[in-house]
Amino acid sequence: MDIISQLQEQVNSIAAITFNAFGTLQRDAPPVQLSPNYPEPPAPAAAAVAAATTTATDGDATAAFPEQPKQLSADLVKAAKQFDALVAALPLSEGGEEAQLKRIAELQVENDVIGQELQKQLEAAEKELKQVQELFGQAADNCLNMKKPE
Amino acid sequence: MMIMYESLYQKLTTFCPSSSLLAVVASSPKLKSSSFHLRSSLFPPLKRRMATATYPPPPPYYRLYKDYSENPSSAPQPPPPIEGTYVCFGGNYTTEDVLPSLEEQGVPQLYPKDSNVDYKKELRSLNRELQLHILELADVLVGRPSQYAKRIGDISSIFKNLHHLLNSLRPHQARATLIHIMELQIQQRKQAVEDIKRRREEAQRLLKDAFVTLDGQ
Repeated sequence: MDIISQLQEQVNSIAAITFNAFGTLQRDAPPVQLSPNYPEPPAPAAAAVAAATTTATDGDATAAFPEQPKQLSADLVKAAKQFDALVAALPLSEGGEEAQLKRIAELQVENDVIGQELQKQLEAAEKELKQVQELFGQAADNCLNMKKPE
Repeated sequence: MMIMYESLYQKLTTFCPSSSLLAVVASSPKLKSSSFHLRSSLFPPLKRRMATATYPPPPPYYRLYKDYSENPSSAPQPPPPIEGTYVCFGGNYTTEDVLPSLEEQGVPQLYPKDSNVDYKKELRSLNRELQLHILELADVLVGRPSQYAKRIGDISSIFKNLHHLLNSLRPHQARATLIHIMELQIQQRKQAVEDIKRRREEAQRLLKDAFVTLDGQ
């Protein structure tokens, strides 16, 4: 894929990582205590009463929760760095549209000149081919005419 | 529609230069039966409703091309290419492909508006701004969650600027591709000229040798 398309893909993936990150964080965030006056939720007691398997997965999610922002922000920074690397690899050689147009005009002139030379060489070669074919025909006719049937 | 008919014109003129095929098409009973078919498929009795309809018949101006093989100028020319705006299947399109500027789309332009924009610098600075705005959004969501809308608007305008910059690089890419192709073509032509010269010289050498051997006999 060419570099501009890669850059566009990279921009889109940065956007995707951003909204996925915020979305998962908002969806998976554990509840936060609003004021010290409110009592602690009886979470450990309820966990002991409820089934063991479900609490195991929930416990894993809440335990692993602080890791998620770290991973997501690492992904975001990696994507941004890759974007910078791609920008550095852009082959923006000469400056300006005018320089490119001038170069295109020069190349067109050179292309025309060499096209005409090619045409000339081709015509000369075809003429010589015709001459050789004629000579060959004459030689073949002479050979045929010299052979008298017994 | 016009594009379809134009391509059909070209197909008719290139595919059947001989009038015999046109005569076959004109006189075939299938055409008559196919129009009957079409009529019956348009108003089918409810019991025998067909799942598919037949193809529409070719446009009736094929008759104008009856003598095309003898006299190519007796038949009308295909319609000229469309310029400007045209309507296709109810949508308006234009033949001039121009990238609409950001102001026309109502998006504030965040990079300086020069004729020679330094693309790499601007792309990098836009990237940095984007990261800062994302961090700001995270802060706002933690502290003052009701004020997210302005931040999201800023982030989306940064994205639109980024995409606009990348799209405006495309003409540059097209010209660079053209330059590359032309250089390749010049190289190939030079190679061909060298080849032809070489082979001509070799052929003349062979002929001279042949003459020498003949004279020597």
